[in-house]
Amino acid sequence: MRNLLNFFKRYNNVIIFLILEGIALSLLTSGNSYHNTRFIKGVRGITAGLERSFSRTGSYFRLRETEVGLARENVMLRNLLEQTGKMKDSIFYTVSDSVYRQKYLWFSAEVINNSVNRQKNFLTLDRGYNDNLAPDMAVIADDAVAGVIVGCSSNYSVAMSLLNIDFRLSARIRSNGYFGSLGWDGKSYRNAILSDIPQHVEVIIGDTVETTGYSAIFPEGLMVGVINEIEKSGSDFYRISVALKADFKKLRFVNLAGNLQKTEQQNLETQFQ
Amino acid sequence: MINRILRYTLIFVLLILLQLFLFNNIQFSGYVNPYVYIMFIMLLPFDISSWLLLFLSFLTGFVIDIFSGTPGMHTSASVIAGFARPWVLRMISTREDYEFVSEPSLRIYGFKWFLIYTLVIVFIHHFFLFYLEVFRLTDFFTTFLRVLLSTLFSVIFIVLLEYIRRGK
Repeated sequence: MRNLLNFFKRYNNVIIFLILEGIALSLLTSGNSYHNTRFIKGVRGITAGLERSFSRTGSYFRLRETEVGLARENVMLRNLLEQTGKMKDSIFYTVSDSVYRQKYLWFSAEVINNSVNRQKNFLTLDRGYNDNLAPDMAVIADDAVAGVIVGCSSNYSVAMSLLNIDFRLSARIRSNGYFGSLGWDGKSYRNAILSDIPQHVEVIIGDTVETTGYSAIFPEGLMVGVINEIEKSGSDFYRISVALKADFKKLRFVNLAGNLQKTEQQNLETQFQ
Repeated sequence: MINRILRYTLIFVLLILLQLFLFNNIQFSGYVNPYVYIMFIMLLPFDISSWLLLFLSFLTGFVIDIFSGTPGMHTSASVIAGFARPWVLRMISTREDYEFVSEPSLRIYGFKWFLIYTLVIVFIHHFFLFYLEVFRLTDFFTTFLRVLLSTLFSVIFIVLLEYIRRGK
């Protein structure tokens, strides 16, 4: 007994160290996964209010830029409206055809917390369940892929940024239609890596990379970026570096797209798996 | 004693605020991200008991974790750094013994000693932090490069901060 007590006395700091380190590591492994909902939900609730007030101050400095962007978007939408009116006469349109049914529901939100310097980056948005956001919605910035929502509370959402080494996206080259898998290698926030494109395909620097829509999260044909470097790795595939269109360093206002037919597509797909 | 607690609370709050609102926003090319909050663990007095040192390390890491949404990452790296501190101090002691009433500072022990001390502690902390962050051993050398570059910048900032502190 005395020896045991002596042992504890002698190694008490090692024991405390092991206990504290154990707590920290269990937090790390249990809480930091893809759907790190519990910890993040609890904690984001406390810090989000603070972060919001800081981000509001920052947004004043970008008002002019935002205004120009909005004006440009308005013009584009007006043009689109003009075209649709002439294309199909919507007033006399009565047949309910699923081809013309709305597939994506769009929302907008403001980014109140963001990082680009970690290996697993997340965005915090100022909208949540109360504003009809839900997990698995696409986050779109500068008309390009930015991330996907992984968790919502009533007033906030957390989205996994494209700049996260766990993020995977099905993407294709617009000019020839070959698709591959796009992910971030954790190095530069301006580039992502497109892999699984076979080497017999002709790939040119400057080609556009866009989404395929296979995952039922991102709308089809949404731009990701432009090819800026092609490398033949040892295997039969290219390793293509893509300059991202969205500038994650100044992300402020983002659009969100929820696929209304996602469950339909997925239910059908699971029947054949 | 009370005076001391107040002083360390002030240092704690200042370092946390600096880290969250200044240094977390500094990124050079995705490889470098300085973490200066570790300075709090370095500055604690020599005569602090080992359990208190560990608990304060835990607390420091935990607060940073909460505000950056990375549960456990900074906490585990800080606890390891706090655990290693007594060994590091013993290893690099220049004189017979440290004066027990004092704290590790540049003024008393000189530039060279402080630089080595900072370098070793920051390296240990960053090493565990960056490998825990990626949580895999692929791209081992890329991560190692990030550790080295970030260590360099953190050390520069910590030494600068120490000069500012001395001027006060």
